[in-house]
Amino acid sequence: MKIVVCIKQVPATNDAKIDPETKRIIRKGIKAILNPFDTYAVEEGVQLRDKFGGEVIVLSMGPPKAEASLREAISVGIDRAILLSDRAFGGSDTWATSYTLAKAIKKIGDVDLVICGKQAIDGDTAQVGPGIAAHLDWLQATYVMAVEEISSSSIRVKRMHEDGYDICEMSLPAVITVVKDINTPRVPSLKGRLASNKCEIPVWKPDDIGADISKIGLDGSPTRVVKTQPPPPRHTNTKKIEGSSIECAQSLLRELRLRSVI
Amino acid sequence: MINHIKNKIYHVEVLPPKQDSEKLEKDLEIFSNKYLRVMNSGYCVCITDNTMGLLSFQGTEMIEELDLPVIPNQVMIHLNTFHTKDNLDNILDICKLKGIRYLLIITGDGSERLPKLRPSDVGATDVESVTSVELLKYINRKYPDTFVLGVAFNPYEPEEHELKKMERKIKAGATFIITQPLIERNEVVDRLLEKYPKIPIFVEAWMSKKLYLLSEAVGYEIPENSEFDPISTLKMLHKLYPGCGVYLSLLGFKTQYHLIKDTWV
Amino acid sequence: MIAFTDAERKEYHNIWVVAEILAGEIQPVTHELTGAARILADLRKSEVWVVVMGSGIEGKLESLFAYGADVAIVVDNPGLSGFVDETEAQIMKRLIVKYKPEVVICGATTRGRALIPRVSVMTHCGLTADCTGLSIDPENGDLLQTRPAFGGNIMATIRCSNHRPQMATVRPRVMKSPEPDPGRAGRIIKEEMLTSDTEKIKQIIDVFHSTETAYNLADAQIIISGGRGMKGPEGFNLLKQFAQRVGGAAVGASRAAVDSGWIPYAHQVGQTGQTVQTKVYIACGISGQIQHLVGMQSCDFIIAIDKNPDTPMMQIADIAVVGDLFEIIPEIIKGITNL
Repeated sequence: MKIVVCIKQVPATNDAKIDPETKRIIRKGIKAILNPFDTYAVEEGVQLRDKFGGEVIVLSMGPPKAEASLREAISVGIDRAILLSDRAFGGSDTWATSYTLAKAIKKIGDVDLVICGKQAIDGDTAQVGPGIAAHLDWLQATYVMAVEEISSSSIRVKRMHEDGYDICEMSLPAVITVVKDINTPRVPSLKGRLASNKCEIPVWKPDDIGADISKIGLDGSPTRVVKTQPPPPRHTNTKKIEGSSIECAQSLLRELRLRSVI
Repeated sequence: MINHIKNKIYHVEVLPPKQDSEKLEKDLEIFSNKYLRVMNSGYCVCITDNTMGLLSFQGTEMIEELDLPVIPNQVMIHLNTFHTKDNLDNILDICKLKGIRYLLIITGDGSERLPKLRPSDVGATDVESVTSVELLKYINRKYPDTFVLGVAFNPYEPEEHELKKMERKIKAGATFIITQPLIERNEVVDRLLEKYPKIPIFVEAWMSKKLYLLSEAVGYEIPENSEFDPISTLKMLHKLYPGCGVYLSLLGFKTQYHLIKDTWV
Repeated sequence: MIAFTDAERKEYHNIWVVAEILAGEIQPVTHELTGAARILADLRKSEVWVVVMGSGIEGKLESLFAYGADVAIVVDNPGLSGFVDETEAQIMKRLIVKYKPEVVICGATTRGRALIPRVSVMTHCGLTADCTGLSIDPENGDLLQTRPAFGGNIMATIRCSNHRPQMATVRPRVMKSPEPDPGRAGRIIKEEMLTSDTEKIKQIIDVFHSTETAYNLADAQIIISGGRGMKGPEGFNLLKQFAQRVGGAAVGASRAAVDSGWIPYAHQVGQTGQTVQTKVYIACGISGQIQHLVGMQSCDFIIAIDKNPDTPMMQIADIAVVGDLFEIIPEIIKGITNL
């Protein structure tokens, strides 16, 4: 069984600054972390490999320092890592990103399962997973909360919905995106971390994956960010509600109705 | 634990390297040096557990990988509720094996990346969330007569609430207490001392000049004071709390370490 | 599809809404989006079409016109009773190629977020997720999509100039549902599901609908949060009831409550818990320590309920209710039930 886990290194979202020209995030000076949702994908990949044998590879598209996140994945048991990094990939929206990752997965070859985290905490779009499935023309299952069964030819998963869940079975190869309910990601050990520092991580460029230049990077992105601004400031007047409990409740109900909460 | 107070043995807090350290080998060396220096001084090294929820390596991992010597009376590790059960049991097994006796049991700080013990993991049926109380009970049940367990006390939180929590912690098997950092006399701590005259209590001394960091750590505004001198504050704490031990956090190993040999009189 | 020239773009008309069907019923988000689509269509002088894919839904279409749709395209087939995203995506692709809509919007639900990204890749279109605002650029008619990014710290405006249709997803309860006009009429276009649509298909083996929807903090539009003032786990049961009545709400907690063992850590909001950016945050008996505020200060609207009018939380709140939450909340619950 060959599994590929797609991960992303993201800025820790609490401080964000935007380059006014490219409208993209200035990545200097902000802590970079492995996207928290991806830790569940990595853990699932490692667990499935441990259970069913085979190989689990972690793949990421990003700047050179994204290598640190790939090593983090190796330190919890991933077999090997590949970094897609080149100026030409820069400025990609989710369409171009999923295209690039799909080409890399094709290049890796004979992949049975692709696992992605639900979404990245900087973009928050949750589009790349299904996007990869579409570029590869594979089946997909999103919001997977459990992998119930897997064989060389099919996978059975539990998908989470707002109103419950469903169980579905699909033939491999396929793409799944996973939610936090699926497992508890292990924390890297010092031993694992020291071992991961010794691993070689190849860097792939557009030529290595046979990418169509018109489909990658800023130019390959159908969407463009044309403006960014801070959210509207919170207004500083506090409206006080006092009185009997019933009066307070009535006032609050009015406010909740006003805001379509109820 | 009382011997630490009688013999003027400082608790010196040392933080393990963070998981995202870009110079891990260097940080490991720095940690080793600090650890050994504390050992050689006769003090007790206290190793933290993912302080502030910032992913770091474990004290037990550090001791194992770096082959650091354990003198049972001189090593304490923090242990919080943000572990998987397997992970927790593993840490406790290593402690038992290596002769690490002193454990500071705290609820701890969580984060996105850290797992959390479930009530069923520690055999607790009456709570929604695992706190230091349930962890204390679990350790005493699983490893009777193996460890000396301590707990934290926060005089900056509502007093009644904190004292009630302390009662539960003592009942669950805590035998020593470490307070949050003090920079002056604290009436709530005074009352704690009155309530538990027989239990060894350690006041924490904030050894950094940066008081705003202390505000962040305890969650309440502590007025910035450019006159704040950690060493003289430490001497004052000894005078105010002669029956207590002292836990040193953020001790400057380069600038302050040599000064503390004369402070506990 | 690529549309680099004005001439190419002019071939695309109408604003489409992909309906959200749950257990055979059209969901409120569909009506909210139809209302938003109506505004866009009026600006573009075109029509609102709602695409309905499901099983046994042919009889449920009338309400769509009341909310502003001009046309309902319906694909009614037993094969569409479960959520078969690949098949629905294939159908969407066919319909888009056939009818060339200018804009396609869909609810950012678990289903919508599985379906539309797949469709956008298959049709080579741009897609913007979780839009909080949709408008039309008066200069060239492009759709302008506004959305939060970076955990809510930034509002981004996105445009898709050279591909049509322009696609966007919108979360439930972000757009206001319009007042339905029952007199409004529309047309129905029936489309068939083809065998080729089911070439790539998954097998739905089991479906479970829960009666209680428990929202997690990240996805909830409303968070009702409790602190030390809840006094114990029973207090949180009260908040859970409140959340159930409201619907789409999650229960949050301050660290003090979690550290007292009253509610699981998964509910903790704050620096060492989760950071949330929800539409409405109702803080009950939470004093508002810095570490907690850091986790929820970018919520759109903050309501605080407390006996003490001077806590930090009561001061930053948009509405501060001074009173006994143990009396006020049951009254609110009664009030919602009687609506």
